[in-house]
Amino acid sequence: MSAPSAHDVCVIGGGVTGAGIARDLSLRGLSVLLLEKGDWGAGTSGSSTWMIHGGPRYLEFDWDTTRRSCEDAGHIVTIARHMVYRVAFLIPILPHDRNNIERMETAMEVYDRFQPLKKSNPHARLTADEARQVEPGLTTDLVGAVTLEEWGVDPHRLVYANVQDAVANGARALNHTRVTELLRDGANVIGVRYRAADGSMSESRAKVVVNAAGPWVPEVSRMASANVQLRPAKGIHLVYPHRISNFSLSAETIDGRDVLMVSHGGFTLLGTTDDDFYGDLDSVDVHEDEVDYLLQAFARIFPAIRDYRPVRTTTGVRPTLFKWRRYEDELSRRYQVIDHVADGAEGFITIAGGKLSMYRLMAEETSDAVCRKLGHQAPCTTAVRPLPGSESELEPADELGQRFGIPALAAVKLQSRHGSRAGDVLDKSDAGRIVCRCEPLTESELAYAARHEQVRTLADAFRRVGLAAGPCSGSACVMRAAEIIGRQLGWSASQRFDAVREFVQGAWLGRAPVLGHQGWAQEELAQGALRGLR
Amino acid sequence: MGRTDSLAKLAWAYGRHVARRRLTRPRSQLATMVETYKPDGIRPLTPAEREMHPRLIGCINCGLCALAAGRMGKTRLPDLATSYMRLYARLADASSDLEGDEADLEMASAACPVGLPLNEVAAVVRRLAAG
Repeated sequence: MSAPSAHDVCVIGGGVTGAGIARDLSLRGLSVLLLEKGDWGAGTSGSSTWMIHGGPRYLEFDWDTTRRSCEDAGHIVTIARHMVYRVAFLIPILPHDRNNIERMETAMEVYDRFQPLKKSNPHARLTADEARQVEPGLTTDLVGAVTLEEWGVDPHRLVYANVQDAVANGARALNHTRVTELLRDGANVIGVRYRAADGSMSESRAKVVVNAAGPWVPEVSRMASANVQLRPAKGIHLVYPHRISNFSLSAETIDGRDVLMVSHGGFTLLGTTDDDFYGDLDSVDVHEDEVDYLLQAFARIFPAIRDYRPVRTTTGVRPTLFKWRRYEDELSRRYQVIDHVADGAEGFITIAGGKLSMYRLMAEETSDAVCRKLGHQAPCTTAVRPLPGSESELEPADELGQRFGIPALAAVKLQSRHGSRAGDVLDKSDAGRIVCRCEPLTESELAYAARHEQVRTLADAFRRVGLAAGPCSGSACVMRAAEIIGRQLGWSASQRFDAVREFVQGAWLGRAPVLGHQGWAQEELAQGALRGLR
Repeated sequence: MGRTDSLAKLAWAYGRHVARRRLTRPRSQLATMVETYKPDGIRPLTPAEREMHPRLIGCINCGLCALAAGRMGKTRLPDLATSYMRLYARLADASSDLEGDEADLEMASAACPVGLPLNEVAAVVRRLAAG
């Protein structure tokens, strides 16, 4: 075991909340150690709907929650401007929907009062003909539609930008590093013991340990003999590798829930389900009936949905606060900062619950609690300080592309990840070579991710730079990608094969539940291309 | 308390909304809505493009089209056909990609194992890139 390090704060959990806390505290001048057992944002954050939204549904329960949510969404939109984009929803109203069009438009009129807080436009109301004019795939059985605007974001990049800024301000951040034990000195929690990716064990002393482990919060709390009860909720999404509809759509499920088909930059997310989950958090399967449930809802408003081929599913577990009985949506996204001094664990704080859209606020309140404990007085600056890449205006994509000899479209994608730092990522020597044509992703960016962005596996590269995220699911690029990453990380030939095998097997788990006839044809092609791995 | 208060406020807003709908003549908001989202690239495909859309995005990225058209590694159409169709909302920013010589897309289509109509893909991409 290596000699113990010492920090003011150790944060357990590298999702968006943990990364946000690490950034906040390091900007306040504290020394921070951030530990994540998998990859940054690989848990609940990465399996979200990729949206920063204000939450019009909370209007039925508590307008102040809507206001606070919109305010914080506005902060995120400002500090992460290079990675956010408008998502315009069309909410089609059918004759027997739970909310008729007048009720739905009333809700949107009220929501319009909050929209300026997050720099969004007010709603519009369309007749049935107008709705079908802008979205010809909609069913003919329409009463009309209203629009709603929210923001989209790549949660993987959002998490990583927070990690990056924390590190730039002195934090130490380790992914693929699992906390195995909390160090105790009587009633006090005084640090953590952890295992790195290479199996080596280390210790770090910390004045405060923060448990930001999302759905794993109870597991980490038990290490301090504290009890935090959650009501974990499983959610799945179907991923289509293209925009399917012109606008994002909302639909009602057979049991009256609202589900979304969200048109993001180059793909569509369709979801989500919301079911109590009692299984193993590290192995959450997607079932075909969950896929059917979502498709049934959208086939009612957008019949052509069944003509499209999803490439994979995502699944995650929300760290919902515990409550007996049926959840009402407004409550299910609340959060709580818990100081465990009452549990006999001084120096141990948990942040539980919440949602992506309010991550910054959750991080601020948790950091405030840490600072109070340490007697440290420094204001939070995360609402105004830009994340890395959002500090200045972007160079026009075609100029960036020409400067480095890459397609303008690749420059567009590069900027969506790295913002104003995109030029720093491209290395002239191999900038122009495209490794993943679906994305499109350059060799330079992939090598950069391995060198500077803690990419240690091909799945990490999927999250960090979108490797193999497109229609071919990696059959055309993963071997080459393993070579590029392997060169940077010193992998042997067999390690490169192992990396590809591990990626292909992992990807299969997400793809199997959505393989229809066309999907199987492509699966055969992919299997054939990668047969040498067996 | 919060819920009661919220529902009461919504009920009041609903009453005002219904009264306003009865007293005023609604005007079409379609044009304003389309204009609002144009700068963000959220633009409708035409009905004809929409009809063809599932076929236009069927690419499985095998690369045979680029090989047949002699464009392998040239990183434009048809090599990146799938990228352009994925990111059609951002094509206005990437219009410079479509300048210069054109590949033999007939030849490329003939080699496509999933029957992608590459000429039609190119037409959609060019229309959207033109803004």
